[in-house]
Order: sequence, then C-alpha cells, then structure tokens
Amino acid sequence: MKKRAKYLLLSLFSLGLFIFAWYLVTDILHTFPAQALPSPTKVVLTLVKKFTKKAPDGGTLFQHIWASLKLALYGFSLGAVIGIPVGILMAWYRKADLLVTPIFHFLRPIPPIAWIPLMLVFFGIGQTAKAAVIFVSTVTNCILNSYIGIKQTKDVHVWVARTFGASNGRILFKVAIPSALPMVFAGLSLSMNLAWMSLVAAEMLAADKGLGYMIQYARMMARVDLVIAGMVMITIIGAILNRILSAVEHAVVKGRHMQ
Amino acid sequence: MNRKKKRSFAGSRTEALVYGILSLVILLAVWHLVSLGGRIGKFFPSPFLVIRDFANAFVHAIGRNTMLEHIFFSLRRVLVGFGLGVVVGIPLGLVMACSKAGRAFFMPLFSIVRPIPGLAWIPLAILWFGLGEQSKYFLICMTALVGITMQTFFGALYADPVLIGAARMLGAGKFQLFVHIILPSAIPNIFAGLQGSFAGAWCAVIAAEMIRSDEGTGWIIFNGMNYANTAQVIVGMVAIGLVGLIASTLLKALERRLCAWNIQGK
Repeated sequence: MKKRAKYLLLSLFSLGLFIFAWYLVTDILHTFPAQALPSPTKVVLTLVKKFTKKAPDGGTLFQHIWASLKLALYGFSLGAVIGIPVGILMAWYRKADLLVTPIFHFLRPIPPIAWIPLMLVFFGIGQTAKAAVIFVSTVTNCILNSYIGIKQTKDVHVWVARTFGASNGRILFKVAIPSALPMVFAGLSLSMNLAWMSLVAAEMLAADKGLGYMIQYARMMARVDLVIAGMVMITIIGAILNRILSAVEHAVVKGRHMQ
Repeated sequence: MNRKKKRSFAGSRTEALVYGILSLVILLAVWHLVSLGGRIGKFFPSPFLVIRDFANAFVHAIGRNTMLEHIFFSLRRVLVGFGLGVVVGIPLGLVMACSKAGRAFFMPLFSIVRPIPGLAWIPLAILWFGLGEQSKYFLICMTALVGITMQTFFGALYADPVLIGAARMLGAGKFQLFVHIILPSAIPNIFAGLQGSFAGAWCAVIAAEMIRSDEGTGWIIFNGMNYANTAQVIVGMVAIGLVGLIASTLLKALERRLCAWNIQGK
C-alpha cells in the first residue's frame, strides 16, 4: 500500500513538474515568446472559448468536431462493412483468395496518406475525397485482419465441427468467424486510429472545416494556443472513439478472457 | 502465426500462379477500359501510361530530381527522424519497464504524448521548427517514438517471471538480470515496434513532404495533384508502396536473422 502511494505521488509530481515547468518558461520567465509556446492557462482558456467563438477560422469547436467526426465515421463504417466480409470470403474460399490476394498485395503497402492527392483529383476538394481516403485505409486493414483471423482458425475446431456433420457454411459462421473476431476487432481499432489520423492530415491539405483545418488555419495565423487546443481535442476524441470500440468488442467477442 | 493451414493440394503452386496472373490481367484490363471512358478518362491514365512514366522517372527528372533521388531524399528524412525515435524510445521503454520510479515519473508524461495522432503534430512542428528539414525530422520522430517506446516497454515488462526468478536464485545481480534476461526477451517486441513504427514514419514523411517540400516521394504526388497530372500521382504512389514494401521485407529479414530463436518458437 505504501509503495502504491509512493508511485502515485511520483506520478503526480512528474505531471505537476511538467505543467509547472511549462508555466514557468511561459508566464513567469517568458523564455519562449508567446507565439512559440503559449502558457498552459492560455491554452485552456482558448479551448474553452473556442466552444462558442467562431474566430479565426469561421467555426465553433463543435462545428469542427462534428464535421470531422461525420466524415471519419462515414468512411470508417463503409470500409468496415465492405472490408470484413471481403476478408472473410478471401480466407474461406480458395478461389477468391487466389484471385483477390495479388491485387490486395499491390494496394496494401500504400499508406492512406498517399491516397489523398489521387482522391482529391478524382472527387475534388469536397467531403467525398476525404471519406474515400478513410474508406481505403479502413478497408485494407479490415480485409487483412479478418483474413488472418479466419486463417488462424484452429484445425482441430474445424475437424470437430466436420465430424459432427456441420456444413461448410455452418463451420464458417459457428467456428471460423467467432474465433476470428478478436483479430477483426484488432483490425478495426487499428483502422480507427489510422482513419482519425489520415482525416486530420487530409483536412490540413484541403478543407474548409474540421479539426485538421482548424489547426492548420491556426498555424497560418501563428496561433499556437489554438493549435495546441486543437491537438488536445483531436487526441481526446481519438481516445473516446477507441473506448467506444473496445466497449463494443467486450460486448461482442466471447471468451476473450479465457485465453 | 499458425502456418499449419493445409487446404492445399498437389499442383497448388501452378494454380496460384495462374490465378495470380489472371487477377492482374483483369485488374489491368478494367483499369485500361476505365481510362478509355470519356470524362473519367481525362483524369485517369491507362496503366500502360503509368508504367511508362514510372520507368521514365528513373531517367528523366520529375521536377528537379529523378525518381531515385526523390526516394533518397525521403529515405534520408525517415532515417534521421526514425533514428532519433529509436535513440529516445528504446531507452525510455526500458527505463519505464525496469525501474518503478522511472515508470512513475515518465509514464504520466508519456501518456500525454502517446494518444496524439502522429500527423496532428504537423502544425506545431512547422511553428516550432519552420518549414525546413528540422520540422520533418521532429514529426517523423514523434510518429515513430510512441510505437517503439510502447513495444520496448511491454517486451521488457513481460519478461518471463520464471526466468527472472531462476536467474535471481542463481545469484544474478540487477545488471546481469537486465542484460541476460530482460533485454533478450524484449528484443522480439522491439523488432515488432520497429516494423510498425517504420510504416508510421514512412507515412509521416509523405505527409510532411506534401505539406511543404521541394523533393521527395510525397512531393511527387502532391505536385502531380496540383497540376492535375494523375499519372504522376499514381507513379508516386507506386514508388511509395514499393519502398514501403521493400523496407518492411528487409526489416523482417533482419528480424529472422537476429531473433532466430523467436521465429522458430512460433
């Protein structure tokens, strides 16, 4: 118990030290000019004010959050809905595997960021281009992970099911897919992080709203306080999305605690 | 990984080859047909044009540099930033795993940085380090750092307690314990971290080059976009994909060489 208290104390001390050092070099000593590093109080104030204030980029924080979130979820859910079944089919049906895998190996090593210019040329600077970037990044990860998940199904389990006379489809739905689910969710959570990050990058390159646009605009206005406030918001929302996903995973995936 | 899956039969290699070629032919055919179509065709070059442009890029410059020079610029940025991430991340992970006090002190700070998506550092990197090379190094370092630190930390933290107990019983000191038990058991994880982080770093350099740069693979695709030259965009994407693929293959080969015991155990 005493050790725990000591650990907690040291952790709090380190956080306190960090904030105090930040405060010291900005508000008290003015080591860094306010354009380079604003004080922590300034960042918090900016963040709070931004909930209602539209300046300088023409949107309140909620409008930006909503714009980003809508796009991210749109591209992400489309990618998941298409990617997971395709990955499962590729892994389960040999012919689909042989036919699709080579194409897939071509597309997979291209990072989502690299799709941004192509999508912008195709779809213009609108929302579709960004949703398409997220879709591509989600779909490749979902295909890969559900593919691996299905391929990792234990042979013994399949044999048992077959011995008891289960049909191929029944084995797929009752044995292979449930045992692939942890892997599928790992893919979803990876895609979610990638999607959120790619979206921010895409919004920095071409957008008129969204959190990425907001921090890029703040950068051009040399408003570091707003940049950091935006980063805080991006981080918090990314963390919330992760939490929601892992809550869904806990509800859906059976027997993960037995492993 | 379970490599015991045997849904194959004799002659499956030739079958795989036939299907592989078939799928590529279908891809190229569909791509070519789409590029012929009126409105889309204007923005969408035929695959043969892309292949020709890609080959040309190695001889004739895109912008000021040939393809190999662009790749070299991007790789140099990645290696500097990634190297910084390694130099900071591995010791940080080890300190947090091996020392309670180290974990108590660094973990809260690291937990602040960890969930920040790598590319969200871009505006701050530019404001702090300007538009030159330094901001790119910073961005790539921040992207790589998190994965490397996490993997090192978990690898060292979850060293087999039986081995630790045995070593301790045989009278190993703290230093011996670290060198002979904890470090070797962390190495497979460190490699996993390096592979994952390299992919992230490669992604970050492209983003950085799209934001502001005069050369590099990210510049190729961004420049292509600005001049509505889709062929150039796709040529750049092919280069990015190929380099990423080669790098990850090399890292995997290195892992096989250095951590042979771990691969065999899988």
